[in-house]
Amino acid sequence: MAMVRLDKLSKNYGDVVALAEVDLEVEEGEFMTLLGPSGSGKTTMLNLIAGMIAPTSGQIFIDGRDVSTVPPNKRGLGMVFQNYALMPHMTIFENIAFPLRVRKTANDVVKREVGRVLDLIQLPHVADRKPRELSGGQQQRIALARAIVYNPSIILMDEPLGALDKKLRETMQLELKRIHTELGITMLYVTHDQEEALTMSDRIILLSDGQIEQMGEPDHLYFNPNGLFSADFLGDSNMLDATVESGGETTSVKTAEGLALIAKASAISEPGRSVKVMVRPENVSIRRSEESFDNAMQGKVIDSIILGGVVKHYIDIGRGTAEEQAMVVEELNRPGRTSIRPGVEVTLGWNASDMHVLPLEGRLPDA
Amino acid sequence: MAAVEKPVGSAGSPAAIFLKVTAWFGFLFLLMPSFIVVPMSFGNQYEMVFPPDSFSTYLYEQFFFQSNWMDATFLSFRVAISSTILALVLGVPAAYSIVRGTYPGKRYVAMFLMSPILVPIIVIALGLYLYFASLGIVGTEIGLIFAHTMFTTPFVIVTSMAGLRHVDQSLETAATIMGAGVMQTFFKVTLPLLKPAMFAGALFAFLMSFDEVVIAYFIADTGRMTLPVKMFNSIQWEISPVLAAVSALLTVLSLFVCVLAASFQKKS
Repeated sequence: MAMVRLDKLSKNYGDVVALAEVDLEVEEGEFMTLLGPSGSGKTTMLNLIAGMIAPTSGQIFIDGRDVSTVPPNKRGLGMVFQNYALMPHMTIFENIAFPLRVRKTANDVVKREVGRVLDLIQLPHVADRKPRELSGGQQQRIALARAIVYNPSIILMDEPLGALDKKLRETMQLELKRIHTELGITMLYVTHDQEEALTMSDRIILLSDGQIEQMGEPDHLYFNPNGLFSADFLGDSNMLDATVESGGETTSVKTAEGLALIAKASAISEPGRSVKVMVRPENVSIRRSEESFDNAMQGKVIDSIILGGVVKHYIDIGRGTAEEQAMVVEELNRPGRTSIRPGVEVTLGWNASDMHVLPLEGRLPDA
Repeated sequence: MAAVEKPVGSAGSPAAIFLKVTAWFGFLFLLMPSFIVVPMSFGNQYEMVFPPDSFSTYLYEQFFFQSNWMDATFLSFRVAISSTILALVLGVPAAYSIVRGTYPGKRYVAMFLMSPILVPIIVIALGLYLYFASLGIVGTEIGLIFAHTMFTTPFVIVTSMAGLRHVDQSLETAATIMGAGVMQTFFKVTLPLLKPAMFAGALFAFLMSFDEVVIAYFIADTGRMTLPVKMFNSIQWEISPVLAAVSALLTVLSLFVCVLAASFQKKS
């Protein structure tokens, strides 16, 4: 059964539509991520579910109960904030005990439960300290423990790792994932960081302008973007303007520069239609000797940068030399890799199955 | 806190010395009137002279044991403490409503609550006198307490509002989502975090009431005078040197309260 269900949920601020008739179901035990740029409505959605703001129209069900008009303290939710929101005047123990004390839980139970979650987050020795004596990462783990301790039906997280540095963020992502797997709690996670979303989520909801752009498992979203927004927001992408020549098993297109390319089968392959074709940088190769690909393209190397494990090549394909005009090729970095110097003419190659046909506007019809 | 470091060679320059000297003169200028009464309070028992030509504790004995000055002192303490408590009870929720509330006309409510600061105190005193006369509480202790509560509440509101703006609202949000009701959130989260501001406001209110003379002069009667009113009267009718002792004691009390407030603010 769905733990959270949104039914045509809308929120307007005057003429501004923050969330437009969103339908959504979060399954029990699922790690669901709301991903989107700022202003996409993800925080609005979280605040609506938490009850901090009232919907303009539509309904919210939590655990089967219509909570649209229920105040936040009666919704049985847990929440983790970006700034931790630990009570500075209470010890760590009292911070975690707070939701239990509010529920008038017996003292011995409070003691046992706080001990249990402190063990779970692997910080059993900090009970008597004050929040300010802990590091940011530790504070956020305490905030998580506080949200777990009273077994809420769902835990909402509003960019909880946003204030941490990169290394710590990655550790915490794995930690969150571990706790989620261990406890099987339903989690609804808000972030604008696509890597974070891809790392942790069972499902991702991609939001833009108050609407659900695309929804699905991380792999599905990455490999089957349904529009320019999805393709651009999740991962890197090379886009080319093109016109459809013919459809079928594969889609034949001709680029604005007059080059014939073959892309995947598409639902928008009416001949003559203007589209964008997209290929991920890691699917493009710099062709050497005998390799053969469905598509080939000539270009001149602008620059190559090493990012550690991968190398990014920027290739001028006749559109200009600015970064956004270049074709990006990503390959694994290995010792003994033949380096490619700027100015060298190269042939790029990729397969039809890695090239997507996307509409100029809006989204592909649901598959 | 990190120590403030001075740039090399700037400490002993003529400009720096000049600055220091001026600052100390300003400081002394402000403090002199308060401290001049201290030597006088140990002086002559018949008239006030400066510098004093003899030393005795006669004036303090007079104040503590041989006059009705202590009655006035106790009344002042009772009035100041009661009105401070009332000001907190009224002022803190009012500040909460102004800072956290989202109702229309909030700004006007705030302005109305602050109005006792803006109106000349003599006008307030006269208004209170006429109003309390119709209620029949002029010359009573409760009348004094109510009058001073009205006088000090705006100051408690101001300090509480400043304090509330520093209380992170996401803490209250967090408490609410964890299941705390409005009252629980207020008493377990907001109020404990507001304590330093409330304490500062309370000390301030106490001093305001304890030192206040105009309103008390209107409301008090001859049998029931607060300390400042009695001082004012004694200047007019007796010019008793005991006044010097009272002034010295008041100065010490104010100093003590200020140091207390400062140390408490530093701690939090």
